[in-house]
Amino acid sequence: MGGCFSDVKGGQQAVGGGGIVGHLGAQGFGGAGSAAGAAASGHNDAVEFFFQTKGVQALYTKLELSVSASKLRDRDIISKSDPMAVVYAKKRNGTLEELGRTEVIMNNLEPTWIQKISVNYQFEIVQPLIFHVYDVDSQYYNLPVKNLKLKDQDFLGEASCVLSEIVTKRNRTLTLNLHNRDGRGLKSLGTLTVQAEETVASRNAVEMTFRCHHLDNKDLFSKSDPFLRISRIAESGGSIPICKTEVINNNLNPVWKPLCLTMQQYISKDNPLIIECFDFNSSGNHVLIGKLQKTVAELEHLHQTRSGVNLVSPPSHLRRVEKITEGQLFVDGYVKKQLYSFLDYISSGFELNFMVAVDFTASNGNPHNLDSLHYIDPSGRLNAYQQAIMDAGEVVQFYDSDRRFPAWGFGGKTFGGSVSHCFNLNRSPTDSEVTGIEGIMAAYSSTLYNVTLSGPTLFGPVINRAAEIAGGSLSVNQNKYFILLIITDGVISDIQETKDALVKASDLPLSILIVGVGGADFTQMEVLDADDGHRLESSTGRVATRDIVQFVPMREVHRGEISIVQVLLEELPGQFLSYMRSRNIRPHFPDVVHASGQGTLYGV
Amino acid sequence: MGSSNDLRVLEITVISGEDLSINRKQPVKKNAFVTIKTDSFKEQTTKMDKDGGGYPAWDEKFVMDMPMHARYFTAEVRCKTAAGSRIVGTAVIPASDFLGDYVPENYLHFLSYRLWDSHGERNGILNLSVRVKSSSSVKNAYGGGCSSHSAGCSRPWSRIAVGGQQVSNGEGVVTGIPVWS
Repeated sequence: MGGCFSDVKGGQQAVGGGGIVGHLGAQGFGGAGSAAGAAASGHNDAVEFFFQTKGVQALYTKLELSVSASKLRDRDIISKSDPMAVVYAKKRNGTLEELGRTEVIMNNLEPTWIQKISVNYQFEIVQPLIFHVYDVDSQYYNLPVKNLKLKDQDFLGEASCVLSEIVTKRNRTLTLNLHNRDGRGLKSLGTLTVQAEETVASRNAVEMTFRCHHLDNKDLFSKSDPFLRISRIAESGGSIPICKTEVINNNLNPVWKPLCLTMQQYISKDNPLIIECFDFNSSGNHVLIGKLQKTVAELEHLHQTRSGVNLVSPPSHLRRVEKITEGQLFVDGYVKKQLYSFLDYISSGFELNFMVAVDFTASNGNPHNLDSLHYIDPSGRLNAYQQAIMDAGEVVQFYDSDRRFPAWGFGGKTFGGSVSHCFNLNRSPTDSEVTGIEGIMAAYSSTLYNVTLSGPTLFGPVINRAAEIAGGSLSVNQNKYFILLIITDGVISDIQETKDALVKASDLPLSILIVGVGGADFTQMEVLDADDGHRLESSTGRVATRDIVQFVPMREVHRGEISIVQVLLEELPGQFLSYMRSRNIRPHFPDVVHASGQGTLYGV
Repeated sequence: MGSSNDLRVLEITVISGEDLSINRKQPVKKNAFVTIKTDSFKEQTTKMDKDGGGYPAWDEKFVMDMPMHARYFTAEVRCKTAAGSRIVGTAVIPASDFLGDYVPENYLHFLSYRLWDSHGERNGILNLSVRVKSSSSVKNAYGGGCSSHSAGCSRPWSRIAVGGQQVSNGEGVVTGIPVWS
């Protein structure tokens, strides 16, 4: 059921100016080059690199799809629909694999989405695509787009085509009719237009701060609420929006937050950009205050000369010629940046260090019993713990140079006779490290029969130990980043201590991946994962600096819904980059040089 | 006052605030500022953020002394009104949070704290960074660069608007609430 009102505040957010280098599903909100969305499922550099080294290589061209729709059905009562598009690849067996989603545009039946969907075009195979358009209910406005459950949204229409159809068209644009699922019903549900463009891999980006002066007033009782929308002119001649600023209410002299545009978005400094200034209206009918066309090079010049350029109001039915308005645009800030990717850091010598903690609480069941989560099958079939260690370990060890991993158990009674919440898995009294994934597996199987499963399940001690190691390494150098894998079957008993430990660790070069095995209810773990935006709070009032936790329930991996490799590598590069970047730590390239005197080299 | 045995020198950068309200209901409109106090006589105050509203940004760095025995310093967020100023919220920053147990002494700590208003209720979050300046002039390796310029410098968090105005550095969110990384 559609919401009655659209989310006005949501519709006022900035889109596309986050400096995200074209990653699938990454939502580029906001300015100032956040790396937050730098890793997402699918066409993530880190995942691709991993698969490539396993020999999975394909010849393909990376494309970006821009989507827009027209004449959508109106599903909201008082306002209009708030549409979002989802793009799927249809696999051989008929199942749909989601490639990405656009952002939600509020109150608009003719949306032109800014968020692009990345897709790999392989000319030798047939790649059917399915597009779904949904009306997003206002109750979901506080969730990231990727967390929206589609079955809870209103379905507006479906379209399908084959990727090569889009690519072979002259201007690489295809318009499709939207219809009901299964093609039932003759009523026209509107049209969907898809445009494909090759992505330009580039690390160059530019962060610009725009300001306007003396804008025309378009509101009756107050002043205009201006925002800027920047589009580029595509080869085919049409314009493709690349980003928009946030809305500043009631202000004819607005200064917007900085926008970071990647070269991928503006293509080249001599490519003309159209900058439009609109007056925001919650009805969705934004009134154009004025526009102008400038290339990035011209904007740089405007910044250097500190001059403004007048916005032009195009001809309307009242006036047949265009009018030069008094409103002027200034470029207050212009900073060149280099966006380093996760792989740039890794290839320049940064290391990921892997640590493992295994749950030895009694809830797993006696290891000698067949139904225990710790049962080691003589036939060689891996149990859930072994599977998780292998899957995550394989990925991370790829980035760890010395293959020495600290490994611990928790919740079990060892030689001392009392329960320990952080004991060395190799049962050595001094050294917690084992060598290689095989070392972890060996220590695990031998310790399993030398430990009495006990309880309760506490994460605090293990997290604090990992934090100690991560913090301690900083005295030596700053190119190590630590990943703690905790495999557990149950719900933790020390949620507040765990939060305290996580908050303390949130400012360290550490990420924590929690894998839940077995059938317990892991809702509590999802709270730690903080994907809903609420930052963890400690008992002393300190709030976590960043989200360092990722939680994945193993049963979802088993069902084939997600691959542990992708989940792990989804947030990890972003967490790594946010740490490095906030401290201005850059990859150690020997020939790192400033592009021009003005630029700041910047790890993103 | 030079660094004597009784004092510790701290570099405190007051970065930003999130989700600040007045009267528990309305978000702060403008003119929020922060006062940092390291003991009863030593305090410094940021400039007001004229248009930041409930998500103000100050990005101001202070170098302040703190007595060695002090266990915390305080931050008070206020909002300038026609009649003076009102307290929006206060936070206590324990010294243990930046006197690292296992991190190097001059590590740049990015810290965030819950603000408590005069009724003892939650009122937003304050983001700041703290670095202990060692008394000898050792080159600090840990990113002093970030705290000194505001434009384009990213923070490890992004500003969250839970139902409020969203500010930069967001990850993708439906219509407005970025997930921070």
